[in-house]
Amino acid sequence: MKKFIPLFILFITSLSFSQNTGSIVGKLIDKEYNNEPLAFANVLIKGTTKGTTSDIDGLYGFENLEPGAYTLVFSFVGYETQEVNAQVVAGKVTEINVTMGASAASLDEVVITTTTKRESETALLLEQKKAVEIKQSIGAEELSRKGVSDAAGAIAKISGISKQEGSSNVYVRGLGDRYQNTTLNGLSLPSNNVNKKNIDLNLFSTDVIENVSVAKAYSSKFYGDFSAGNVDVKSKDYTGNGFLELSAGSSFNTNAIDKNFVRSEGTGFFGYYGRYAHNPFAIVLSHGIDPVNAGTPININYGGSAGKSFKFNDGSKLSLFLTGSFANSYEYRRGSAVDYTLTEKKAFDAAEEYEYGTNSTVMGTAQYRINDKNKLKYTSLFINNSSDVVGYFGTDGAGRSRDAQLDTQRGFYQMNAQFDQTQMTINQLEGSHSSGKLDVDWGIGYNLVHSKQPDRKRITLENYQYALDNDPNTNPTFYNNVDYDNQRYFQNITDEEINSRLNLAYNVSDNLKINLGYDGKNKTRDFNNIRYGYQIVDTKYPVTDVSNFDDVFTLDNLRVNQNQTNGIYQIKVFKPIPGLTNVNRPGLPENTYKGVLNVYAGYANAEITAGDKWLFVPGIRFENIEQNISYNVINLGNKGIDTVNTMSNIFLPSLNIKYAINDDQNLRFTASQTVSLPEFKEAAPFVYENVSSSIGGNPDILGATGSNLININNTAYSKIYNIDLKYEWFFSKSELLSVSAFTKQIKDPINLVVGADATGTQRYFRTGDKATIYGIEVELRKNLITSDDDDATLSIGLNGTYMKTEQNLYDQIVGTRFNLSFNKTKDKLQGASPFLLNADIQYAPVFNNYKPSATLVFSYFADRIDALGSGDLGNILEKGVPTLDFVWKNRFFKNKLEANLSAKNLLNPTIKYVREATIGDVVVTSANGKGISNYKRGMNIGLQLKYKF
Amino acid sequence: MKNNLILGLAIITLLFSCTTDDTADIVINDNSVTNNTGGGGETTKPLVYISGTMSTNLTLSSDNQYILNGPLIMEAGTTLTIPAGMTIKAEATGASVYIAISQGAKIIAEGTADKPIVLTSNASNPVAGNWGGLILLGKAPVNSVTGTQTSTSEIGSLPYGGTDPTDNSGSLKYVRLEYSGGAASGSSENNGFSFYGVGSGTVVDYIESYEGKDDGAEFFGGTVNVSHYVAVNNHDDSIDWTEGFSGSITDAYVVHGPDHDNGIEADGYNTDYSHAAAFWSNPTLTNITIIGNGSADGRATHFRVGTKASLNNLYIQGFSLAFQIDGDAADNPTGAWIADGSLHVTDITFNDVTTVLKDVSTGEAFTESQFIEGVGNGTATDFATWGAGWSRE
Repeated sequence: MKKFIPLFILFITSLSFSQNTGSIVGKLIDKEYNNEPLAFANVLIKGTTKGTTSDIDGLYGFENLEPGAYTLVFSFVGYETQEVNAQVVAGKVTEINVTMGASAASLDEVVITTTTKRESETALLLEQKKAVEIKQSIGAEELSRKGVSDAAGAIAKISGISKQEGSSNVYVRGLGDRYQNTTLNGLSLPSNNVNKKNIDLNLFSTDVIENVSVAKAYSSKFYGDFSAGNVDVKSKDYTGNGFLELSAGSSFNTNAIDKNFVRSEGTGFFGYYGRYAHNPFAIVLSHGIDPVNAGTPININYGGSAGKSFKFNDGSKLSLFLTGSFANSYEYRRGSAVDYTLTEKKAFDAAEEYEYGTNSTVMGTAQYRINDKNKLKYTSLFINNSSDVVGYFGTDGAGRSRDAQLDTQRGFYQMNAQFDQTQMTINQLEGSHSSGKLDVDWGIGYNLVHSKQPDRKRITLENYQYALDNDPNTNPTFYNNVDYDNQRYFQNITDEEINSRLNLAYNVSDNLKINLGYDGKNKTRDFNNIRYGYQIVDTKYPVTDVSNFDDVFTLDNLRVNQNQTNGIYQIKVFKPIPGLTNVNRPGLPENTYKGVLNVYAGYANAEITAGDKWLFVPGIRFENIEQNISYNVINLGNKGIDTVNTMSNIFLPSLNIKYAINDDQNLRFTASQTVSLPEFKEAAPFVYENVSSSIGGNPDILGATGSNLININNTAYSKIYNIDLKYEWFFSKSELLSVSAFTKQIKDPINLVVGADATGTQRYFRTGDKATIYGIEVELRKNLITSDDDDATLSIGLNGTYMKTEQNLYDQIVGTRFNLSFNKTKDKLQGASPFLLNADIQYAPVFNNYKPSATLVFSYFADRIDALGSGDLGNILEKGVPTLDFVWKNRFFKNKLEANLSAKNLLNPTIKYVREATIGDVVVTSANGKGISNYKRGMNIGLQLKYKF
Repeated sequence: MKNNLILGLAIITLLFSCTTDDTADIVINDNSVTNNTGGGGETTKPLVYISGTMSTNLTLSSDNQYILNGPLIMEAGTTLTIPAGMTIKAEATGASVYIAISQGAKIIAEGTADKPIVLTSNASNPVAGNWGGLILLGKAPVNSVTGTQTSTSEIGSLPYGGTDPTDNSGSLKYVRLEYSGGAASGSSENNGFSFYGVGSGTVVDYIESYEGKDDGAEFFGGTVNVSHYVAVNNHDDSIDWTEGFSGSITDAYVVHGPDHDNGIEADGYNTDYSHAAAFWSNPTLTNITIIGNGSADGRATHFRVGTKASLNNLYIQGFSLAFQIDGDAADNPTGAWIADGSLHVTDITFNDVTTVLKDVSTGEAFTESQFIEGVGNGTATDFATWGAGWSRE
């Protein structure tokens, strides 16, 4: 933290920035020739020397215009010259489309619109065309058109990107969570989930997004921990004169609507839990475990946004923007939950989960435009996100467990009620300043995340079939193989991060611009968990009502003293407080770890223009990376308490080349070296137990040395080489064809695999010396029918990726704590679908004041490896899933009122995972998915109303 | 001096405070009694706490009273020596209190029938699962890995398995474990005796697991030969093997208490991971007595996952089911081994047993007579003779 402060003293001096300007773009139409585009017409800004000509598509544009009023003069030989007044607003695009003819155009043939630069689909496409690096963005306009409600859905519409169904996992070119970064306004964001590196993009509802961009090729301004892509969410950027917008909507899920919904006791409708202040032991004693009624499963959402700008006498301007929203959702899943390794360990053919989710978001921005050259922006974002899942496994009385004591073939049953809450606070201060040739752009941020799983309740029964037989003389009993088969679980994670960025851009000449920059972040994580187990002392106790455990685990039924023989249960804790026993007493956290990641980086790159055609951007970045993990975990004996400290200094060169074949077509080439850093949870050897899987970390992935070790590289990161080649053709203002080829090589890749021990726990290993990826990506956006204004009435979008991946696997690994072997030498990369497809078709006619648009969106990914099999285990595959959504938006009354109807997941495909086994594919549950496999999500049908005052 | 902290009348009082969520505050009133029992031979002995990783030999002295208060891990090349007649008490804090003898280390714990060595709970009211147990790790073959590769133990993350079937982890004679088997989860369990890849050079004769929360003795591969084994009131399986165990058990006396799983639970290999070395568990069991709670319930044995075994002279009493067989026609050919005689029972007597054999899932056709011959010829092991003096029933 201390290291950042001196840097910001720098800013007080020289300050500049180019984003403070606006631009004018537009299209000229030839009235004398079937309203075709008018090429090579002159466009001048009156009273200046600035001028341009329209291109073959009739398009023209002026960039970097100071805000203010301009008069544009349009002329063409033989045509009437026209003058049009235009207002340029900082950060926005003014679009002026003019119809030219032999006689003067009437005023209504000139269409002027102003949109926020980074929301407009056309502007983003123009930005992509001009961009120095390979990146793709999706703005609020397209999001709204495609009925996307959050950032996760947003980036899944970008080529080469797929979402894992039923989870927040996003894959960029087949590379998962580990290989991505997520930033908000260019500053890094923490994860809301212990199991993830990246934040769940579902947390960013479209109300707070200006646009989402994915950079798939590296440039030196990004953190070196980059391989597949950097996802940047740009928060809403309001500078208008004032508005108020309110929205409310409702929807339902076809699977959930007729269910008697349940959720965890102690949680609220708005996704809050009120007992954090108490010792978990007090909660265990004071509160029961039975789920409670969750009301009628109709989803609601409402929100409001308001903005206002204030102009001051000195010419400065303060713009305030505030938005808040709440949404909830009910989802019901019915399927199976199976753990199959080389034999069936546990199988519930009938399992169901009720999931109640909420998301509350409040974001405020204050933007202070001091003058044309200096701007400050403060963003504060608070998110409360909750998920409450109640699962019942083995409801048919036919659940099987090979470790069952009474009957291995039937009657095994589990209930799991789990509430997760994440509260995130993100504060950022950004500034941009320009003076002459120097532009300075900086930001500092502070993120605080509390991610908690309070009071997860798990019950395990045997002979559940007796609960279904209406015979009061036969009843299920508690399964009590270990003291924690029936348990309460509490987990707390606190992530804290301070980060900063600074970029100095020096425009040496028209042909050379130099960027120098600094990035720094300090991130810490504190983790702890504790379990209280219900040790059933009355082991034959009949469970007469399987929906009422509250009456079993009462204080009256607690065997308070170990020398008594009354009571049904005792409460066990794993780590007693010194001086107290581990029975019926509060305890100490079972596992703790603390992670530290400090990254200090400096970079330099140059944007060199050679002639009209070539742009070269060579860059170099230096990073000093410190990764520490200290842990105190159970089950590893004296190896369970340790600290690992690593320090890496790395240089990352990159080269971007752009060749403009002509005004509409570019060829781009990028080569770079990057790294991939392990996550805290991957290095901390704590084991999380799901109902039918367990996952733990492995400190060896931060490197280890020792004479006994085999195939352990003493490295704390994976080195990655990236090469991209892209051809893009912008054949009109909103149309695009692009083809890319890419390859990557990842050294010492990390995979999650079952270790060679007797527990079946999946752990992280550097499983081979390298992995390689080859792929091609194709994207097409085409207007099939256009209106007189050249807006698309009927348009299609299509993008697809085809990939081939391969990784080498060691025959064996002997580590400091965990070992591994493979009976194969190569396999595909985990998470990489060989084929991805996204497609959409939109019909958007205009009828005076009524503007409907109907969009059909399709996406598909092919089968991919969900978990790599080690030893003799087969891989777990995630089966390919097609998704089809329909969104019908209607705008009335000069766009003031919006009524939108959506029907999502129309194909309602089955979501399932299978283990490849000798006996064929066996449906299993994945640790990366929901607690249930082989289920359908149901369709979501909803209506939303929005009114802008 | 002997300090027994007795939680005599511990009362948990809940005071309902004024918080809106009505979670009570906890007030613990431990009316604990400190018992300084004067007199008696060992009360004057100095108290010594033992735990940690030992890189040198540790020889316990009968002049001291030892309390085990954490993991005691003997590293390769070291020897833990426990004298005859010694009682070691383990702090009753569950799974994290145990003794592990690493690969290449030895334990010499040689008691006598008159002066057995006892490892028990330090609780005043001891119950099963108070502490972990005794873990031996050796270099004998296990079938989850090949060659010089090793696997890793459930508890302590220690390597085991190798290429030396005659590996020697020391000597256990007249050793009784009580109230062990504390576990963190269903997949990380302590047993009474955990034999991980223990070789035949190890001497194991006259051992008992009494009131264990988990298995009495579990064998993860290895070739160790155990004689005169007693398992009383173990809550999970009294004898459990997997990962290619191919040693022997001769003269075993198994008695189930009210909480129990199987007398014998047997797997061919570790189904969570690998059967890389391809061979199967195939021990020889001789003179085995398993006594249950009567024919109303209980399962005496469960053979799964393609285990082989040669079972000779068994006596099974008081179970609803004597043999459950599970497997499949692909990776887990338990049924095929019965059909070809690789899993076979010679001479057995059933007393108060409802069902002899249940083939749940092998998918193979075999007959009961292919599996069992000499019904009625079994005789119980002579526990009254060899169990006298040192064991606890």
